Amino acid sequence: MVGEVVKRVLAIVFILIIGFWMAKALDQVPFGQDRMLVGKYYLEHVEEETGAVNAVTAVVVNYRGFDTLGEVTVLFITSTGVAALLWRKKRKRTAKTEGSVVLTTGARLLLPFIMLFGAYIFIHGHLTPGGGFPGGATIATAFLFLYLAFTVYEIDHKILEPLEGLTGVGYVIVGLTGLAIGGYFLFDWIWQTWGIGKENIGRLLSAGFIPIIYTLIGIKVGTELTGIVDNMIKEPEEGGQ
Amino acid sequence: MSQYASLLIALPLFGAFFIPILKRISKSAVMPFLVLVTLIQTGIAAWVFSEVYITGKPIIIMAGGFRPPVGINLYIGHFATLFVLVIAVTSLLMTIFSFKAVSVEPKDNYAMLFLLLMLGATGMISTGDIFNLFVFMEITAISAYALTAYNKTGEASEAALKYIVLGGIGSSFFLVGVALIYGSLGTLNMAHIAQLAHLISPTVAKAGLALLIFGLAVEAEQFPLNAWAPDAYQEAPHPVTAMFSSFVVKASLYAMSRVIYILSAVEGWSSILRLLIILGTLTVILGEMSALRQSNVKRMFAYSSIAQVGLIAVGLALGTKSGVSASVFHMFNHAIVKLLMFLAVGYVALELGGTEINKFEGLGKRMPVSAFAITVGAISIIGIPLFNVFWSKMQLILAALNAQYTWIVALILGASLVEATYYIRLIHTIWFKGEGEKVKESSMLALVMLLLVALIIVIGIYPEPFWNVMQKAGSDIFNVAQYIKNVPLMEVNP
Amino acid sequence: MNPYYFASIALILIGLYAILAKRSVLKMLVGLSIMETGVNLLLISVGYVSGRSAPILSEGITPDRAVDPIPQALVLTAIVIGVATTAMALSVVINLYDRYKTLNVEEIRRLRG
Repeated sequence: MVGEVVKRVLAIVFILIIGFWMAKALDQVPFGQDRMLVGKYYLEHVEEETGAVNAVTAVVVNYRGFDTLGEVTVLFITSTGVAALLWRKKRKRTAKTEGSVVLTTGARLLLPFIMLFGAYIFIHGHLTPGGGFPGGATIATAFLFLYLAFTVYEIDHKILEPLEGLTGVGYVIVGLTGLAIGGYFLFDWIWQTWGIGKENIGRLLSAGFIPIIYTLIGIKVGTELTGIVDNMIKEPEEGGQ
Repeated sequence: MSQYASLLIALPLFGAFFIPILKRISKSAVMPFLVLVTLIQTGIAAWVFSEVYITGKPIIIMAGGFRPPVGINLYIGHFATLFVLVIAVTSLLMTIFSFKAVSVEPKDNYAMLFLLLMLGATGMISTGDIFNLFVFMEITAISAYALTAYNKTGEASEAALKYIVLGGIGSSFFLVGVALIYGSLGTLNMAHIAQLAHLISPTVAKAGLALLIFGLAVEAEQFPLNAWAPDAYQEAPHPVTAMFSSFVVKASLYAMSRVIYILSAVEGWSSILRLLIILGTLTVILGEMSALRQSNVKRMFAYSSIAQVGLIAVGLALGTKSGVSASVFHMFNHAIVKLLMFLAVGYVALELGGTEINKFEGLGKRMPVSAFAITVGAISIIGIPLFNVFWSKMQLILAALNAQYTWIVALILGASLVEATYYIRLIHTIWFKGEGEKVKESSMLALVMLLLVALIIVIGIYPEPFWNVMQKAGSDIFNVAQYIKNVPLMEVNP
Repeated sequence: MNPYYFASIALILIGLYAILAKRSVLKMLVGLSIMETGVNLLLISVGYVSGRSAPILSEGITPDRAVDPIPQALVLTAIVIGVATTAMALSVVINLYDRYKTLNVEEIRRLRG
């Protein structure tokens, strides 16, 4: 009992020391001041170099596209890892209570709209806030809805996994095409070499390969999150291990 | 032409994403595909290695075609290319071992995680941007979490949970450090930060650097954040443990050293270094003391590995050129030796059903090649002349004397003494105790083990050419002015 | 100490306390999640410039009236990584519960021997 209290007191003291140091350091980074260095360059050149009006999207996909490739990989690792850890020889859904009438009817009605909204988010990533990740998450929410409403609904992994892999391969191929055409990995060849859409800044058909990449990412994230939900919801069949 | 080195990153990614598609075509093609990908990666790494060492200039890959700091750049200098080669070769050898060693399903997911672990470590050492370093660190970490828990036993799950919690704390601290440094300077590019480092105020610099080091210390297995390591090493599949010990921890140590030397222009730098030396020393002492008490051989090797990694951290934190070069040499030697030892121990565990020390009695008669491999590995870690680690430990001692830290010399010698105690105890058990029937050993694995033994002895007898390479790699990290000059920074002043 | 910095540090410390002091595995994971949220909040706050608006360059927002876009891109990535860690941790917890039938860290340590 005493050991418990001592442990907690030590934890609190340790935490307060860390908090004190962080606060002291943050005093030297004043809030709200303009300290942009590379950020300013991005804001001034984003329209001519990438064609997007959403500077954050341009940073995510174009200027720092390597990070986004890494992020997509992280989600892929999670999807694979969850599948590996929760793998059993035979698994099925064990929920017994069907959703209420409101839930089942609502799910059926809303499904196409949710998916449309998700697609809208990632297709317009270069014009409005959002992009591939929120779009994909919205699409996964549509499927989660179906899982919650119906006790027998499940997604076929045989379609899901190759789709994930295919979109990932697509992203790498876009990068490699940049290497082949423009000489650099992840070079935006559509905007910079071919110049498609240069007259369209601010409208849908512009911004080089940003819509393409975001579409790929949107589909990938949607299928991955759905796969994770599916893996977590199922339980091993009785007797099967 | 040199931008094609970006295939080092694109290839494993392509391979990993392709496996789900390949699985639909033919399930049994997945593991051979893994061998193919690692083989091609080794080829590309060897080509890059020859390019960099022959021309002497690092390869700078500009992702997206934007010059740094506007775009992200990869800096493949002497150090990075050396270790990318080490990572590729280690992965290739471990894929061969995985055929036998991994029998828990689902194997295709194992293959994907394996490739991504390799990719993460390769990215960590090639990157030139601190947030990119964070992303690759997380790729490595999350693959490691999944691979640790892969065997799905209760112990593996507990080990993985400890790893995840500590890793999560570490990466959060790392991000706070990035926030502080970005808030002060406005850039994320390593060379740009090095150029502007003198502008950071001392409080922010000390806190930021300390947080970055703390964040990396989890993966780099330094005290006190290495509580996850012995369990994870013990419970992970055997090829995975070998990969953890040979390159995952080294990638984090490299990242730590890169971050430390980039910020070398800030005030209070030497006090942070002193903190790191103390932590490294504690890592060594606690590692050796714990190894002494183990009865499970794999766990004993894990503690010994942690102690060596502590020594590397101490060498890096000395703050001198000879310290860095000595640590790099030790990283290289230790990678080879631990690869051999974990391979042999894993193989013994597979054939004889466990890694308790009583299973090793009479190993000399039952599995002579594996026993020979373990013996050579053990002798070299102690630091006996004619084997590779002798030279790197000697360089560490010389560097410590140069930097006037005589107690570190005592630490190295004392650690070697303790190692001698438990390793000789193991060797005695293997060769002089117990009897047994001879077990047929796979000729493929025996070949791999003998090749590694040969490499250890070759480095032990002719260290000069290797030491030259290590010194160039060391100056890659230490000589920050040259690093800044090599990166084609663009002017972004508003 | 303005409210945003204060809130982010508070979140980080609360999360850290939950990880160190709680005994249920799920509460530790919630603490980890809170800590990561605090860090994301800190990153965005560092990029804010007073009186400026979102970095989307249309409808009268010129480059000198926009906030820093970089921290927002960083946080996008960090959020996804946080989700990934949580998902992985939860599957490990599912396996842990399957074997040990308890979510109490001390119990698990005891059962492991």
